[in-house]
Amino acid sequence: MDKYIEMIRIRFLMMLAYRTNYYTGILIYAINIAAYYFLWSAIYGSKSTMQGMSMAQMTTYVAISWMARAFYFNNIDREIAMEIKEGRVATELIRPYSYLGMKTMQGLGEGIFRLLFLSLPGIFLVALFLPLRFPTDVHTWMFFTLSIALSFIINSELNLLAGIIAFFTLNNEGLLRAKRFVIDLFSGLILPISFYPDWAQEAMKYFPFQGISYIPSMIVTGSFQGQAILHGLLFQLVWCVLLLIPIQLLWRAAKKQLVIQGG
Amino acid sequence: MFYVSIFFQYMAQYMKTKLQYRADLLVEFISDLMSQAVNLVFLLVVFGHTSLLHGWTRDEILFIYGFFLVPYAVFGAFFNLWDFNERYIVRGEMDRVLTRPVHSLFQIILERMELESLLGGVTGIIIMAYASARLSLSFHWYDILMFILFVLGGAFIYAGVFVSLATISFWSDARTSIMPMMYNISNYGRYPIDIYHRVIRYILTWILPFAFVGVYPASYFLGKKEWYGYAFFTPIMGVIFFGIAVVLWNAGVKRYRGAGN
Amino acid sequence: MNAIEVENLRKEFKSYSSRSGLIGAFRDLFTRNYKIIRAVNDISFTVKQGEIVGYIGENGAGKSTTIKMLTGILTPTAGKVIVNGMNPHKEREKFVRTIGVVFGQRSQLWWDIAVQESFRLLKKVYRVSDEDYRQHMEHIIEALDIGPLLDKPVRKLSLGQRMRCELAAALIHNPPLLFLDEPTIGLDVLVKLKIRQFLKEINEKYNTTILLTTHDISDIEALCERVIMLDEGKIIYDGSLKRLKEKWGEGKQIQFTFAGEITFHALRELTNGLQVIWKKGEQDNVWTAQVPSALLPEVIGRVVARYSIQDMNINEISTEEIIRNIYEEGVVHG
Repeated sequence: MDKYIEMIRIRFLMMLAYRTNYYTGILIYAINIAAYYFLWSAIYGSKSTMQGMSMAQMTTYVAISWMARAFYFNNIDREIAMEIKEGRVATELIRPYSYLGMKTMQGLGEGIFRLLFLSLPGIFLVALFLPLRFPTDVHTWMFFTLSIALSFIINSELNLLAGIIAFFTLNNEGLLRAKRFVIDLFSGLILPISFYPDWAQEAMKYFPFQGISYIPSMIVTGSFQGQAILHGLLFQLVWCVLLLIPIQLLWRAAKKQLVIQGG
Repeated sequence: MFYVSIFFQYMAQYMKTKLQYRADLLVEFISDLMSQAVNLVFLLVVFGHTSLLHGWTRDEILFIYGFFLVPYAVFGAFFNLWDFNERYIVRGEMDRVLTRPVHSLFQIILERMELESLLGGVTGIIIMAYASARLSLSFHWYDILMFILFVLGGAFIYAGVFVSLATISFWSDARTSIMPMMYNISNYGRYPIDIYHRVIRYILTWILPFAFVGVYPASYFLGKKEWYGYAFFTPIMGVIFFGIAVVLWNAGVKRYRGAGN
Repeated sequence: MNAIEVENLRKEFKSYSSRSGLIGAFRDLFTRNYKIIRAVNDISFTVKQGEIVGYIGENGAGKSTTIKMLTGILTPTAGKVIVNGMNPHKEREKFVRTIGVVFGQRSQLWWDIAVQESFRLLKKVYRVSDEDYRQHMEHIIEALDIGPLLDKPVRKLSLGQRMRCELAAALIHNPPLLFLDEPTIGLDVLVKLKIRQFLKEINEKYNTTILLTTHDISDIEALCERVIMLDEGKIIYDGSLKRLKEKWGEGKQIQFTFAGEITFHALRELTNGLQVIWKKGEQDNVWTAQVPSALLPEVIGRVVARYSIQDMNINEISTEEIIRNIYEEGVVHG
C-alpha cells in the first residue's frame, strides 16, 4: 500500500510544479461555468422549471459538474497509450506493482490536487458571482462524497480501458478524442440526462457514462431524493465492478501480445 | 512569392505522407465529425425544450454554429499548435527550424498542416445551407466575398489567440494546459452574444474575441442589422490579433533557450 | 576574411531549483528559487575561412550553447558574434542560408518521406537553382555513397545511413561554413572514416570552413589542425593540435606489470626527485608511469633494480590522455 500512497504524493508534487496551470485553470473553469450559466438562463427564459429542475438547481448543477470534472478527469488513457507505443510499458511491467493500479493512483494524486487547488477555490470564486445553492443536509454531502469517489473510479476505469484498447488499434489519438466527446456528451457534463428524449434516456441506462457526472451532480443539487439517491449510487457501484471485467480480459491479451512482440 | 512556392512544396510533401497513413485519416475525420455532433446534439436537445433562446430561433443558432465551423476548420488545418511546447521546445525541434531560412512560425505552420480538418468546414457549410433554407435567407453575389473575408478574419483571430498562447512556452518552461481550456472558451462565440453578462460580452468581443468567429459575422448573413457594425469589424480584428501574435512570437524566439539546457 | 569572429561572448541561463518536500513545493507555487548560470563565459576567438576547427569540452562545458549562438538559434546575453560577416540572430533568415548545420542527435530530415523528397524540399527552402543543385549534389551523393538510399523513407535508414544523408542535406546549398555537432556519435568505424574523408574533401574542394564538436578525439586527430578547448564556459586552450601534443604529450608512458602488489607510496619513494606521474592500472600489480622522455632510462633502471617485473610496455601518450590530463589539471598556459 505504501508504494501506492507514495505514487499519489509524487504526482501531487509534480502537479505543483506546473503551477501556471492553476492560476489560469481556476479562471478558465470559472469562465466555463459562467458561460453555461448564461446559456442556461437564456434557455430557461421565463420558465421557472425545466424537467423538474429550477434555474437555481441548474446553476448549481453546472458549477458542481465542472468542478467535479476537475477531480475525476485525468489523462491516464493518453499516458498508457503513449507508454505502450513507445515500449516503455515493458519496463513498467517488470516492476513489483500493478501497472494499472499505479496509473490509477497517479490519476488520484492528480485528482486530489485539482480538487484542493482548482475545484475548491474555483467554487468559492464562482459562488461570489452566481447564485449557487448548496444543500445544508449532512447526509446529502456524504452521499455526494461517495458518489464522486465512484465517479472517479468509473472514469478511471474507462480511461484504462481506452488506453489498453489503443494498444490494439493503429490510431490512438482519434480513439481517445472520440472517447472524450462521448463522455462529455453522455456523462451529463454539458446537459443533464433528464433533458434528453425518453428513448435516449432509456438507452443510456445501459451505459456507464451517467455515473461519471450526472448522478453526483443530481445528488448535490437535491434533484435526487431518497430512493433516487440510492438507486444512483447502486448504478455507479455496479458499473465500477462490471468494468473491471473487460479491463482484466483486455489487459491480459495486451500483455500476451506485448511479450510476443517484445514491447 | 517565395513563401507561396514553399507552401505548395510542403503541401505536396504533406499529401505524400498522409497517403501512407490512410486509416489515420479516416479515424481523424470521424472524430472530427463526432466533436461536431456533440455540439449539434446539445443544440437540438435544448431546442426540444424551448423555441427561442433570447429571441434567437433554433435555425438561426444552427446557422451561427455552421458558420463558426468554417473559420475554425481553416484555423485547425493550419495552426496545429496543440503540442508546440512538447514538440518544439521540450524536444528541441525548434533548433532545426531556426537553422532554416524561412520564418520560424511559417515553417511550423507548414510542418504541422492538417488539411483534413478542412472537411469540418464542409460540414459547416452543409449546416448553414440547411439552416438558411429553413430560414429562407437570400444572398447577394457579394455575400460570397464577405463570407471569405469573414472566414479569414475569424481564422486569423483564432490563430492570433492560439499562437500568442504558444509563445508562452518561450518564457515559461512549465507545461501548461491553457490551450485545451482556451478551446472551451472559444466555443462560446457560437452563441448569441446578448445572452451573456456584459463582462463576458466584453471579453468575448475585445480580449478573447471569439464572438468574431461565430455570432458577429453570422449575424450579417442572418440580416440582424443591429450587429452589422461588429460583423464588418471581423477582418480588422483578425489582422490586429494575428499581428500581435507575430510580434509576440518574434520576441519569444529571441528568448528561446534551446533544448537540453 | 574571417568566417567566425567572436568577442567576449556570453550566455546566461536562469536555472530554477525546486525546494524539497511538500512544503517546499507549496512555497515554489509562489516564489521560486533560481540562480543564473553562465553557460558561456566571455569567450573570444576567430576562425579563418577554410579552417577545420575542433571544438571540444566535457558535457556541459558550453560547446552546444556556443554553436547555437553561432548558428543564430540562441541570442547571446552579451558580446559580439559575426559569422560570415553577419550577426546571426539579427539577420537570421538571410544568415542561415550561408551555413550548414548537422546535429548528430537530431534529424534534419522529414521522418516519413523519402530522402530525396526531403532534399527537394530543402532545395526549395534554400532557393538552390536546378543547375547548381545538379552539379553540386551529384558529386556529394556520390562521395557519400547515398545514391541507393534516396528513395527510402528516413525512418527506415540505419544510423550510419541517416547520418550520411543528414550531411548531404546540410550541404544542399553549398554553404561556406559548416557546423557539426557530434556528427559521428554512435557510428561504427567504417562510417566514421567515410565521413571524415568526405569532410576533408569538401574542405579542400570548396574551401569550406568546418567547426565541429565531438567526444571522439580520433575525429579531431583526423580532421583538425586547430582545437579550441572549453571548460566551464571558458576557453582553456586555443591553438594547434600539434603544439598541444608537444607541450603536454611530451614524454612516454610506461606500463609495468609487477610480480606482486605494489603500493603507490613505495613507487613514489622510489622515483623521488624525478618528474613522474604514477597511475594505477586495472590490477593491483599494474602501474603506469608518465615520464619525460629524457628520464626514461633512469625510471626504468630504478624500478627494475628494485622490483621483479613480469612485463613492461612503453607507449606514446594519446591525445585523449593529454586532454584528460588538461581537464584534471585545469587551465593550459600558452
